[in-house]
Amino acid sequence: MRKFLAVVKHEYKKIVLKWSFIIGTLLFPIIAAGFAVVPAIIFSIKGEPTRIAIVDQSGKITARLKENLSAERMTAKTAQAMKDSMKNLDAPTDERMKNSAEQLVESFVFTDYNADEKSLEQIRRELGEKITAKELDAYLVIPENLNAADAKYEFRSRKAGDFGGERNLRDALNEAVRSERLAGANISETQLEDLSRNVDFDAKSLDEKGDEKDSDSVFFASLIIGLMIYITLAIYGQMILAAVVEEKETRIAEILFSSARPFELMMGKLVGVGLAGLTQLGIWIISALVLVGIGVAQMSAAGMDISIPNISPLMVVLFFVYFLLGFFIYASIFALIGSMVTTVQEGGQFSFPPIMLLLVGFYFSFAVIRDPNSQLSFWVSIAPFFAPITMPVRILAETPPYWQIALSIFINAVAITGLIWLASRVYRVGMLMYGKRATIPEVWKWIWQG
Amino acid sequence: MSENNTTLRVANVSKHYGEFTAVNDLSFDVKAGRVFGFLGPNGAGKTTTIRMIVGITAPDEGAIELFGETVSNESQNRIGYLPEERGLYKKMKVQDQLRYFAALKNVSQAEADRRIDFWLERMKLAEWKTKKTTDLSKGMSQKIQFISTVLHNPDLLILDEPFSGLDPVNVEFLIEVVAELKAQHKTIIFSTHLMETAERLCDDIILINKSRKVVGGTLREVKGSFSKNLIALRCVGGSAILEDKSLVAKTITHADEIEIELAENADAQVLLKRLIENGASISKFEQIEPSLNDIFIEKITGN
Repeated sequence: MRKFLAVVKHEYKKIVLKWSFIIGTLLFPIIAAGFAVVPAIIFSIKGEPTRIAIVDQSGKITARLKENLSAERMTAKTAQAMKDSMKNLDAPTDERMKNSAEQLVESFVFTDYNADEKSLEQIRRELGEKITAKELDAYLVIPENLNAADAKYEFRSRKAGDFGGERNLRDALNEAVRSERLAGANISETQLEDLSRNVDFDAKSLDEKGDEKDSDSVFFASLIIGLMIYITLAIYGQMILAAVVEEKETRIAEILFSSARPFELMMGKLVGVGLAGLTQLGIWIISALVLVGIGVAQMSAAGMDISIPNISPLMVVLFFVYFLLGFFIYASIFALIGSMVTTVQEGGQFSFPPIMLLLVGFYFSFAVIRDPNSQLSFWVSIAPFFAPITMPVRILAETPPYWQIALSIFINAVAITGLIWLASRVYRVGMLMYGKRATIPEVWKWIWQG
Repeated sequence: MSENNTTLRVANVSKHYGEFTAVNDLSFDVKAGRVFGFLGPNGAGKTTTIRMIVGITAPDEGAIELFGETVSNESQNRIGYLPEERGLYKKMKVQDQLRYFAALKNVSQAEADRRIDFWLERMKLAEWKTKKTTDLSKGMSQKIQFISTVLHNPDLLILDEPFSGLDPVNVEFLIEVVAELKAQHKTIIFSTHLMETAERLCDDIILINKSRKVVGGTLREVKGSFSKNLIALRCVGGSAILEDKSLVAKTITHADEIEIELAENADAQVLLKRLIENGASISKFEQIEPSLNDIFIEKITGN
């Protein structure tokens, strides 16, 4: 037992004290924090207000335009744009640009300019001079006849790159002109609103208990948890492979085997590396929960209605359980491969089958997200090799009956017992076989020999 | 033989790998506080035998007793094994590696740290304590490996080709350290095919070939049983005596001396007396023992 613990400690420290681990573990939350917090900070930074002079030759637009550009209207628009951008991930680029432009809070300051009795030429010259003198940032000339075919709305700005401000102004102007035209056609603003209002499409799925949940956020959370488990299993499996091959390649195995039982050594390695994986995943998941909490708080503070999937402490515990199940399944396969081969490169070729299994499990999780209660979802979340990825996804998408979770854990635990037995049989012989890669018949013989 | 002075007893041990017999009915004893040479050509079954002694594999037939008991995890803690093919963790600090190897032999960390400092000092490697293996030269790595073998103060040391890859200065240094360990009444098993080194260090030897024991015993006994009555002679005159077939079986003339193989039952003293009587002027007359190397070659090639 003392030797087993010595191996666990050795393997754990070997991974956790590496720079790559420390950086990788901390970098993820920092990047995630960047995604969550930085945009919010940037959005809250208000640029210098644009000083604009409006020359309304028709005399009908200014009031509406000023209202449309007011601070309250802009904030409401920003919030809507932010929400749209999160819902509509595969929007075309143009729409995305629009969205991100609208997320920038713009403010305008209106500068009075007396255009009475002046010709258009004169107005242009005078305002142009003000802009050059930096007394003004932009001006807008609204034509006399709004509906003429050749009516031009002249906008000149000092801020060439301010496409956000330009767009906002254009939208506000369009709205104002449209309202004016409607008024001309004797249709009131409220009438129009009633006519063109979108239906309120409230898409939520029901869980087992009949409680509602937001399907968008469930989709993302499920996908993220599936991806996280897939990546950590692949990374830590490869770490086991590298650690086993190193001891074989450097012949340290010979010294180790003369000091402790092979089973102790192999299990110590699996447990040590597994704990390191758990440490990393734990830091990630906890920081993810904290960040989501902060993000939600910020967004609801910004007046946005956002819901997060309901994650109970039991779910978090189950994620860790399934990570460990997956880890021991794949780690024992990688340990077996490591003791068969002579170099890490050779091991890389052999790690194709387990990586494929992992990938298939990950792809199945899409089917599970789409329909968590289908026959397929049931079977793939029970089957060994796939369950460690698909079951957490399924639990998050729609928690299955507990007996299914219990059955899945049981079946995977049995698979682990079998795989560890196989791996330890191969490990005990393979680690002392130098020079050439073992063939499958040889490995078969090692498994059964006394 | 009592348990008190027998560290290791190998009794009728065999090990098979499929059709291949790696060790065949091998028996020998290693006595406490002695240096035991375990000799044989490559592929004779030395490493297989050692692996059984250190508990890596188990014999198919026969028994191995260590310190009066069968091989177990307990006995493993009392053995220091330096394998022929050996290595260190590449990216680990010297101190951390040694701590790990000590922990695997059930040495507490405090005790391990104390001994690591002592041995690094003794091996003149103290300033390398926090360096990584990749920074060490080959010779330094070898010495670190040696430290990992003795760190847990084992009663039995098994050194498989300990000098391979070491420069002559370090070989002498290591021999000195081994002598100190012997003085502390440690038992040392030396596996090598360097016969000159074995001859210098070993009290007892066993020679195995093709999975079987060929010859064994104290160094003196083994050499004695191979004595061929060879004499190295340097003299002027007396050539008539050397042609006497009742005294001399064969002569080989070297540059400045003659190697004489005495005839059966002939006495070296008689030959010397006859040469002097014959008026030969003798500057060298030496009875030569066969070297371990000669015995090795003769036994292995089957002459």
